[in-house]
Amino acid sequence: MRLNRTRARTRDAASAARLRRRSGILAAVGALVAAVAIGSTAGAQAATSEGLLCQTDPHQTFSLTARTGYISTPDGNSIYMWGYGMSSGQFQLPGPVLCVTSGQPVTVILHNTLTEPTSIVFPGQKAVKANGNPAQPQLDTGGSLTSMVQAADATDGSVTYTFTAGSPGTYLYSSGTDVTKQQQMGLYGALVVRPAGAAGQVNDRTDSAFSPQHEYVFLLSEVDPEVHLAVERSQPVDWSAYNARYYLINGRSMPDTLAPNNASWLPSQPYGALVHIKPWDAATNPLPAVIRYLNAGRVSYPFHPHGSDERVVNKDGHALQGTSSTAPQDLSYLKYDIDVMPGQTVDALMDWRDVEHWDATTNPIPTQLPVITDQLLVGADTWFSESPYLGTKGSYPANITVNNECGEYYHVAHSHALQQATNYGAAFGGMMTVFRIDPAAGCPTS
Amino acid sequence: MTDETRSETTGPGRRAMLLGGAGAVGSVLLGTRLSFAQPTRPTVVQAAASGTAKSVHLAGTDGWVSMPAGSPPDLPFFPDSLAPSPFDTYVFGFRDVTAMATAQEVAAVRGKAQISAPMLAFDEGDDVTIKLSNLGLLMRPDLFDGHTLHWHGFVNAIPLFDGVPELSLAVPIGRDLSYFYRPHDAGTYMYHCHFEDVEHVQMGMTGMVFVRPKQNGTRVGNVPTGVRLAYAYNDGDGSTRYDREFAFMITELWSAAHYRDAHIQVSDWTDYAPSFWLLNGRGYPDTIAPNGDPQVTAGGRLQYQPISSLITCNVGETVLLRLSNLGYQNHPLTLDNVDMQVIAKDASLLRGRDGSTNYQVTNTVDVGPGESRDVLVTPRQPGEYLLYDRNYAYLGNGGGPGWGGMMTVLRVGAAGTYAPQTQPNT
Repeated sequence: MRLNRTRARTRDAASAARLRRRSGILAAVGALVAAVAIGSTAGAQAATSEGLLCQTDPHQTFSLTARTGYISTPDGNSIYMWGYGMSSGQFQLPGPVLCVTSGQPVTVILHNTLTEPTSIVFPGQKAVKANGNPAQPQLDTGGSLTSMVQAADATDGSVTYTFTAGSPGTYLYSSGTDVTKQQQMGLYGALVVRPAGAAGQVNDRTDSAFSPQHEYVFLLSEVDPEVHLAVERSQPVDWSAYNARYYLINGRSMPDTLAPNNASWLPSQPYGALVHIKPWDAATNPLPAVIRYLNAGRVSYPFHPHGSDERVVNKDGHALQGTSSTAPQDLSYLKYDIDVMPGQTVDALMDWRDVEHWDATTNPIPTQLPVITDQLLVGADTWFSESPYLGTKGSYPANITVNNECGEYYHVAHSHALQQATNYGAAFGGMMTVFRIDPAAGCPTS
Repeated sequence: MTDETRSETTGPGRRAMLLGGAGAVGSVLLGTRLSFAQPTRPTVVQAAASGTAKSVHLAGTDGWVSMPAGSPPDLPFFPDSLAPSPFDTYVFGFRDVTAMATAQEVAAVRGKAQISAPMLAFDEGDDVTIKLSNLGLLMRPDLFDGHTLHWHGFVNAIPLFDGVPELSLAVPIGRDLSYFYRPHDAGTYMYHCHFEDVEHVQMGMTGMVFVRPKQNGTRVGNVPTGVRLAYAYNDGDGSTRYDREFAFMITELWSAAHYRDAHIQVSDWTDYAPSFWLLNGRGYPDTIAPNGDPQVTAGGRLQYQPISSLITCNVGETVLLRLSNLGYQNHPLTLDNVDMQVIAKDASLLRGRDGSTNYQVTNTVDVGPGESRDVLVTPRQPGEYLLYDRNYAYLGNGGGPGWGGMMTVLRVGAAGTYAPQTQPNT
C-alpha cells in the first residue's frame, strides 16, 4: 500500500537518496572486497567491507568508553543514543564486537562519560570480577538495588571487569545499570568466544565448522524515538507509552543494513549485515556461513531468512548436543525462522544449494516463464537479474536502474513480526537485510 | 510499495486493462480442483519434469468476512460501516479458481476473497505450478497493488519464484504469473503475499501449504498392517505416522487497519494492536463450525471463511496438528488432557545429523511469527478437549465478554465414530 501524500513525498526524496546510496554501496562493496583479498594479511585491524569485524587484542584487553552520539535512520531521522565505543575511537552503535578465545582471561575497562553511572554485565560468563572483587549487585545505604554490578561513576568514572572467556559461542554484553533506559539508549554489544585451537568452528564440535570469510553477527534491537528525545532533553520518560518505531540489525535499519562496514555515510553505525555467499558445493565450497543472532531488545524477534533453512547449532554459548560423554549426540536442527528471545543468542549455520541446476539451455525450468515487461517491478531500481538462472542477466526496461551485477541472486531476511520490518511503519525496512548469492564462478566485478 | 510517482506513470494503463486482463486469466484452465486432490492433468510445459505435474490457479483480490457474532463494536473500525450484510470486516485474500471453467467465473471472484487462503498440499518431488492472477481490489479502484506468492520456508528457493517484489517481480492487476516449485523437503509450510508484506499479510493473504513425504504409502518400522500409511516426514521408523491431520493458520486481525484500508486511510504498522485472534481465519466459537465453500451462499456470514478448525478423531488414533503462524505475535498453544509430541519445527524433523531423535512431549507449544510446528496427539479417552492460546489475553473477540479468540476443540469419539479421513481438517 500506499503512503499518504505527505509520507509519499518524503519517501520520494528518501528513495532518491537511497538510490544514490545503493549505487555507492555496490561500488564500495566491489572495491573493498578486492582490497581485503589483497590486504588480508596486513593485520587484524584491516577493514573488511562485509561480514564480521572483530575487535581483537593479544592480551584480550579492551578499553571501552560509554559516550553519547547520534545514529541515522533510512527515513532521514537522527536519533540520540548512548553507546560503547573503543576508548581510542568514537561513539558507535552497537558496541565493538569483542572476539576472544575460550579459556583465556579477558579484561574490559569501561570509561564513563555519561551523566549517570553505567556498567557492563556479561551474561553467560562466570566468576566475573569488577576492580578485582567479585561482580555483585550494588545496593544503596537504604538497601535498594542501584546496579546489577559495580558501575563506573558518572562523567569520568571507570571500572575494570575481568573474567575467563566461557564456553564457545556468542554472548551479549550490556549495561547493568538503569537497564530499562540504558539498554534502550544503546548500551550493548556482542562478545564472540572462539573454541581454543579451532577458530573456524562455532563450538568444540567439528560439525560446527564454518567458512571464516562468511561469518556474520546480527545484533537485533529496537528504538522508540520518543524515549530518546526525552533523554536528550533531560525530560522524564513515559515508559507506559513505550512503542518502538525502528528495528535494527547491528544498529542499522534496511536498507542501511546493506551498506558495507564502516560506510562513510553512517559514521557511528560501523557494522553492515549483508550476507554474501556462493552456492554450497561439496568440493569447492563445502563450509557454511555462520550467523550469530543476539537479541539486545525487549521483545522476541522472529527472524526469517528467505531462500534457505539455517541450522541452529549453538544457543546462549552452548552447543546443542546430548549428554553422551564419548560422542555427544547432535541435537542441532534446521529452522526457517529463528525466534530470538530477549537476551538470547543463537548461532546458525547457513548455506544455499543450487539443487535443480536450472540452465536456460540444458535444464530449463519446466514452466512458462513470465514476460518480464508484463510484470510489476517495485520502485525505480531493482536488484533482480531479470532471469531465473543464476549468473544470467536479462534485459531491463530502460527506465529501471539496475543494481544487479552479474545475475546473482538476492534473498531478503527479516523479522516476521512484520511491523518490525518497517521504518516507522513504512514496509521493506527495519529489521531486514539481504543475502546475496553469487554464481559459483563469482561475479567479475567483485 | 506503490508510491505516487509510480501511480502517475503506470496507474491508468493498469486500470484500463483490468477487465480484459481478467478475461484472459481464465483462458488456460488447469486441472486440479482442490489442491490436495490426487488426479492431475499436466497442462504445463514439461521440459525436464522429474515428478508429477500439479497445477493450481489462485486469484488475489479483496472481500468481506465476519468476526464472531456478539463481538462488541469498536467504532468506527468495527463493524465496518461499508460492510455488506452479513459481514463486518474488510480483507484481502486468495481464492482457488483452479476448477473454474470460464474467464467469467474467475472474474466474478473479484471482491470475494477468502481467509485463510486455500489449503495447498503436494507430494515430495511434484512439479508444482501455481498460477496467480491479480483480480484487483473491488473496494479500492484507486489502488494498483500487485500480489505475489511467497512459499514461506521453501528451501533453496530462487528469487523469481520467491515472491518478494523488491527482489523479483509482482503480479499487476489483470495479469498472472506462474510460479514453479519442485519441493524436496516434506513438512509444514505456509504461503502469503509478499507485496507490502506487513499490510497484505495482515489483510488476510495467508494460507497453509504442506509437502507429503515420499515414504507415504509404504510400511516402515513397526507400523502395523491395516492402518493409514501417512507420515509427516520421511522418518524411516514410522514415528511420524498419523491417522488424521488438521492444519491451523494462526493469525491476528487488527480491525483498525482493515477499516483504514477500506476507507482510503493509512496505518502506521508500528502501532500494531490486534483486536481478534484467529485459527484458519475464524475466532472461537466460529472455529468449530463446519467447513464451507466460498461459492455457496448457505455459508452465511462464514461463506468466505470456509476452513474449520474442529479436530475430530476416534479414540486411540494419532492426529497430526500442523501449526503455522503468520500473525505478528507469539502464540503458546495448550491442549488440555492430552500430551502433545512436537516432532518438527519449521518443516524439519527434530533429528540431528547423526540421527539422534529429539522429539519433545509437552502440553504447550509456542509458535512464533513465521514459524511452524508439527505435533502428534493420541487421545486415549473419548471426550472434548480444548486447544487454546495460553496467552489468555488472546481468548476474546474484540474485547467482548465470554470465550473467543484463538481456541478450538478436539472431539474424540469411541472407536468407529468417525469414518477414515479423506481430506485435511475434515
